[in-house]
Amino acid sequence: MNLSYKEKGLIASLGVTLLIFGWYLYGAFSNLSLNSEPVGLAKIISLIVWFVAFEATIQGFLALKNESQLEDERDKLIERISYRYSYWFLCACICFLMGQILLVAWLDYPTALTTPNGMFHLLLLFFVLGEVTNFVVQLYYHQKGF
Amino acid sequence: MRFEAGEMSQQTLADKVGVTRQTIIAIEKDKYSPSLEVAFKISNVFDVALVTVFNYN
Repeated sequence: MNLSYKEKGLIASLGVTLLIFGWYLYGAFSNLSLNSEPVGLAKIISLIVWFVAFEATIQGFLALKNESQLEDERDKLIERISYRYSYWFLCACICFLMGQILLVAWLDYPTALTTPNGMFHLLLLFFVLGEVTNFVVQLYYHQKGF
Repeated sequence: MRFEAGEMSQQTLADKVGVTRQTIIAIEKDKYSPSLEVAFKISNVFDVALVTVFNYN
């Protein structure tokens, strides 16, 4: 399969996002309970540092291997379309979260997901999924065209 | 059209127009409709009228 520089970059970003945040969120949701410890700032900063380091290394390697890193009108159009999809996906997720908060408040039935710790990780999961949607839609349109 | 212009490669045409080779491939496969600016640039490369290169079905 002949992939462009842009597609390789997208696959790399998708892989790094899934690997770093997937690993973190899997651990976070596995240990989530009503009395779980709140997430520490140091852990979040280290997560971001790991993500940036991985992403920068892989993107730098790809840039060295590929001479042309030109971004043209088609790339920008695909990017705009993918942002629209990820925006609607994120809106749906936020609505779901708001519904969950209201439901728990009305029914007075707290769960591990409605604790501040659970909410934080749920929001992080939705942002990560929104970003994954963005990458997947871009890859789809780069392969399929219009 | 590229072959009539001295076996021009997709990369050469892309470089002359200022787009990626993938965009040229997409245009040739009818998977992408370029902007007027790119369409004019392509017709200028071949030194022909716009309607000679592109037509609307």
